[in-house]
Amino acid sequence: MKFEYAIKDSLGIHARPAGLLVAEAKKYKSAVTIEAKGKKADAKRIFAVMSLGVKCGDVINVLCEGEDAEAAIAGMKAVVEANL
Amino acid sequence: MDYKASAQGVLEAIGGKENIISAAHCATRLRLVIADNSKVNKEQLENVDGAKGVFEASGQLQIIFGTGTVNKVFDEFIALAGIEAGTKEDVKKAAASKQNIFLRLIKTLGDVFVPILPAIVASGLLMGLLEGMTNVIPGMKESNWYTFFHLMSSAALTFLPILIAVSSARVFGGNMFLGAVVGMIMIHPDLVNAWNAEAVESAPVLFSIGAYSVKLVGYQGHVIPVILSVWVMSFVEKKLHKVVPEILDLFVVPLASVLASGIVALLIVGPIFGQLETWVLQGASWLISVPFGIGGFFVGAIYAPTVVAGVHHMYNLIEQGFLSNGGANVWMPIATAVNVAQGAAALAVALKTRNKKLKSMAVPAALSAYMGITEPAIFGVNIRYKRPFIAGMIGGAVGGLFAALTHVGASAYGVTGIFGILITVPNSELGLGVWNLVNYILTMLIASAAAFVVSFIWFKDDAPCEKDKVYSPLKGKAIALTEVKDETFAAGVLGQGFAVLPETGKVVAPFNGKVTTLFETKHAVGVTSDSGIEVLIHVGLNTVALEGKYFTALVKEGDTVRIGQTLLTFDQKAIAEAEYDTTTPVIVTNADDYAAVDVLCKGKVSFGEEVLRTEEKKAEVTAESAQA
Repeated sequence: MKFEYAIKDSLGIHARPAGLLVAEAKKYKSAVTIEAKGKKADAKRIFAVMSLGVKCGDVINVLCEGEDAEAAIAGMKAVVEANL
Repeated sequence: MDYKASAQGVLEAIGGKENIISAAHCATRLRLVIADNSKVNKEQLENVDGAKGVFEASGQLQIIFGTGTVNKVFDEFIALAGIEAGTKEDVKKAAASKQNIFLRLIKTLGDVFVPILPAIVASGLLMGLLEGMTNVIPGMKESNWYTFFHLMSSAALTFLPILIAVSSARVFGGNMFLGAVVGMIMIHPDLVNAWNAEAVESAPVLFSIGAYSVKLVGYQGHVIPVILSVWVMSFVEKKLHKVVPEILDLFVVPLASVLASGIVALLIVGPIFGQLETWVLQGASWLISVPFGIGGFFVGAIYAPTVVAGVHHMYNLIEQGFLSNGGANVWMPIATAVNVAQGAAALAVALKTRNKKLKSMAVPAALSAYMGITEPAIFGVNIRYKRPFIAGMIGGAVGGLFAALTHVGASAYGVTGIFGILITVPNSELGLGVWNLVNYILTMLIASAAAFVVSFIWFKDDAPCEKDKVYSPLKGKAIALTEVKDETFAAGVLGQGFAVLPETGKVVAPFNGKVTTLFETKHAVGVTSDSGIEVLIHVGLNTVALEGKYFTALVKEGDTVRIGQTLLTFDQKAIAEAEYDTTTPVIVTNADDYAAVDVLCKGKVSFGEEVLRTEEKKAEVTAESAQA
């Protein structure tokens, strides 16, 4: 499962939103991956998410795979929309 | 030691098997030719179990494992990488494109000499023992037993050109037996023996054109003319193999190649290069005999750098030359001064450092240098810290000065250091007395003492860096994360750690590792330690909004950094004036990977102080590990 989102926050995914995304992703058993600009990152690792260097206007894809993928997608979507 | 694990470690650190052009090993080093050097992680390579040092030279990536280990690691390595064992020749060829001709020539000289060193060492030691015995047993010299043992000790040197020729043929890819024949031609008993100076004067002249005259004189004790003649032979042989039909091959090729190279050897290469060789030797003799020991001082100083450059193999030629001319080998004592000095410099490092890995490496490296093998000390220890290496050069120079002043000589070559005592014992043939031995030992002591003292005083120990610890990247006042005025950090959303109210605008690496993330806005940097701890240093709160203003990054993503290296600088005054909180959280972002992250500091902290410790999770007992 996945969803697409265009970043609206003018500062992109910096440390704080990255931390929040990761904290949310860790709640689920599913593998959560963020794709941006042709790169992939494990959403449960802060360094991986920060390394994507996502900026305002960039489009990210959030992918969830696993038994609780549905809940994960919903949770991630909420965090992304609230913070980015 | 687990050779397979080491081989696997090397393979990973060099960017996998796709990045290998060829692989080989010598007595101490794994020699690799790499396609893309940027994929090689040197730091990681240095930390491979058993690796004593890593360096790039003459187009090769060389990893020192040491005698007895390197071959086992190599076997595992080629099995893992699924490549065929390259001979050194293949590696040399693959590396050739990265090397200039002069270095290639000297490498060739080394390749020819190294395999025959055991023969020369055996011969030299036997000679030393024999001379030692003649000093102890009266009448030994006149006895037939002397002749009996003397022929064993002198055989290798008397027939040296044959050994050189066989070794050269192997290096140049010619037939080794034909190579041996070329060597035999050059020292055939029907030629006047080159060591018999009077007979050489009156030797029969084959022909002469003006000043160029060819006498029927042998090439006893010569090296370069032999190597060149065998090169000619191998060249002719290989060319002919390609064009001559197989049915005629056996009749035509050996005959033509031996004849051609024999003629070239005795008429052209021999006379010309024999003369050149004599001049090189005269140059070296002149250098060493520069008055007041200045020559010895100079040679002693530059010798170690020539070992690094790999051109030291040509010194065998010089040593051989001294002996061929009937004198003592005055080069070897200087080489000894150089070797023991590097050993002593490494020993000083061993005694001073708190780094256990370095200590455990430096002690055997130092001992090995005293036995005459300096690579582990030079490459594994001294050159990595530069100062011990220079200390070794100073010791070598001082020892060389003393050796030259006292005219210490040896009766053979191929051994240095402590075992060199065996070839510096009194020797009546070469006019070496008891003082020669005493001065030899003094040379070692003086060189060692000078190098040790300079190295001990000058060497600066690395800051300690234990793999489970994080060392302070900032200077200032440490506070608990919960006191940070930002709920994301305070709640530990980004991980566990502490924060600093910085006094100075500098962030340094908290351990040896790699810069994993560096924000474009340069206000935060993520570093991953060699052992896998991920630390985020976030300078100030909300400083992302400054968009890089007031921040300067001194590293970039992917850079390997050492503990204490500056990562960022920032203008803390300007940031504070812009009304930002400069509190800097220092956070282990992968805290979940550990059982706990303990904060070790309170109050004032300075760069490099222990601030955090990670506790390993207890290994879970799995079916696999239970079986094992």
